[in-house]
Amino acid sequence: MAHVVLRNLVKTYGPFKAVNNVSLVVNDGEFVALVGPSGCGKTTTLNLVAGLIPITSGDISIGDRVVNDIDPKDRDIAMVFQNYALYPQKTVYKNLAFPLQMRRLPRDEIDRKVREAARVLDMTHLLERKPRELSGGQQQRVALGRALVRDPAVFLMDEPLSNLDAKLRVQMRSEIKRFHQDLKATIIYVTHDQLEAVTMADKMAVMNGGLLQQYNSPAQVFADPVNMFVASFIGSPAISLVPLEASTIDGRTVLTGAEGWTMALSPLNARKVQQSTTNKVVLGARHSTIKLTTHAAPGAVPAKAYTVEPTGDVTFVQALLSGAVVNISVPPNVAVSPDQQIWLEFDQERMHLFDGATEMALKVN
Amino acid sequence: MTSMTPLVATRTRRPIDGWRWFGRIFLVLMLLYTAVPMIWMLLTSIKSGFAAMQLPPQWWPNEPTLASYHKLLDPTNSVGQDFLRFFWNSLFVSTATTILAVIVAVPAAYAFSRFDFPGRKFLFFAVLLRNMFPAVIFLVPLFILMRLLGLVNTHGSLIVTYLTFGLPLAIWLLKGFYDNIPYQLEQAARIDGATRFQAFLLIVMPLSAPGIIATAIYSFIGAWNEYIFAYTFLNRNDQLTLPVGIQRFFSENTTDFPGLMAASFMMSLPVVVLFLLLQRYFVRALTEGAVKH
Repeated sequence: MAHVVLRNLVKTYGPFKAVNNVSLVVNDGEFVALVGPSGCGKTTTLNLVAGLIPITSGDISIGDRVVNDIDPKDRDIAMVFQNYALYPQKTVYKNLAFPLQMRRLPRDEIDRKVREAARVLDMTHLLERKPRELSGGQQQRVALGRALVRDPAVFLMDEPLSNLDAKLRVQMRSEIKRFHQDLKATIIYVTHDQLEAVTMADKMAVMNGGLLQQYNSPAQVFADPVNMFVASFIGSPAISLVPLEASTIDGRTVLTGAEGWTMALSPLNARKVQQSTTNKVVLGARHSTIKLTTHAAPGAVPAKAYTVEPTGDVTFVQALLSGAVVNISVPPNVAVSPDQQIWLEFDQERMHLFDGATEMALKVN
Repeated sequence: MTSMTPLVATRTRRPIDGWRWFGRIFLVLMLLYTAVPMIWMLLTSIKSGFAAMQLPPQWWPNEPTLASYHKLLDPTNSVGQDFLRFFWNSLFVSTATTILAVIVAVPAAYAFSRFDFPGRKFLFFAVLLRNMFPAVIFLVPLFILMRLLGLVNTHGSLIVTYLTFGLPLAIWLLKGFYDNIPYQLEQAARIDGATRFQAFLLIVMPLSAPGIIATAIYSFIGAWNEYIFAYTFLNRNDQLTLPVGIQRFFSENTTDFPGLMAASFMMSLPVVVLFLLLQRYFVRALTEGAVKH
């Protein structure tokens, strides 16, 4: 196993910057998820690490070796592809043996390693089959096996679960997580599904438009998003972002909604707003941090229920507030009907404030 | 099972309407149109010279004989010598064309499919452009060119010409094949320890075998059947290929129809055998890429 370091990595296609100055460190044995919407540069970044496409500038190190100009075959990596990329003309056994054959291992050692990998992944009975005779989950397992059999320094995984159906995806998710725990493997995992990233990874690198937005543990990214993009990308249902106006009334810093109501801020939040350069502030709040009441309460602001979606153990209410839609989760026994007047109280400790112009999180120095 | 049977039966029964009958009659007519001359060729080839010319014709020869075949395959008489030499010439030209076509078309098609190089679109268009003109247009220019190159009356002139006409479609056909082989397979192979060339050789080549076989058949048949260029470029009797040879040989003497038909039949044998053996690859290659997966 080895650590991986990306230093000022850039990949351009003509004028288009697919990967724009990305730097991050993946520690030995760490599971890092590259996550972001389609076209954010996450797969390109992975292919750069694999050596499948040449880098424009910057450095990639695997272990203590700069691998910029080293062939994929000599980088000591294994990769699991989104479409599995199993060799269709070869049996499962030969698929697993191929990377070992290419490294000219003795025949008996190849046999031992292939059977060991098949045993670990519980597919000994599939060894003589061709990939087309396997189900999607089994194909996925073979792809994983082909990566595992070589005992590489780093595992690269490119959306390995996105071709599976929902149920199998959840199952394989925990299997890959278990696989990481057992092997203490260094894994770089690309996904567009923030839930996969949050549930599996030690650290997640959120990317957008070729830029690395935030790189931290999922808990930290969730609790302290650096900007509105990260805040809205992580978490389901999505965070509610309400554009408001900041002002000072009687020496107190307050936020004013489009409907004219005002919300007083806690001392910490007030300081964040005071130190910002704009009075356009966007309030970010997750569904579980908003308290919904059906009557006016001190500190609560008036809103109108829009839709009510009971899911069984929790009911999601969407409300209109200051021109934005706010998601709130309430216990199923709270009766709310659409168009009903409701009051929302935001948890000052757990709310996020963003600069309305730069979309960056407001900070206190 | 018992409850399944009537269900299946009603499902497979389709209404028999006029269009369906029209289609069947059309197919039968087409079949007659293509098969009858072949059958007549075969029947004539086993008749005696006199029986072949009889009117009304003998539908089935009174005295079937393989004499024509004996004569053609007997290297001791001049007819047999000529026929066997023509056959050998055709085999040589067609095989050489086929091998060269595959050697050139495989890397060319792979490059068109995988690499992005300057002029890629233009070159590919140029490759197809050739197919827009009838081959006869090129007859005289190519003859002049061959004379300048000193290739007239050599098999080389035919091989080069057949490649000119065969390669565009061969490349086009194979490119479609390579387009359908996921690039990730090569990437996986390269990560698994293969060089780029090994990935092509060990992973892509075996997968494209049906396409290569189809390309080979296509080149072979094209070269085997070609008449007009062979007729123009070759004059010496010992160089002639079968299509020209058969025609010349038999019109010089009083036309021996059973002999002509026997020679024609033997000429069509290699193509038919090749096609029967490899037709499933051929059909697969032609339909591959027709539907996006």
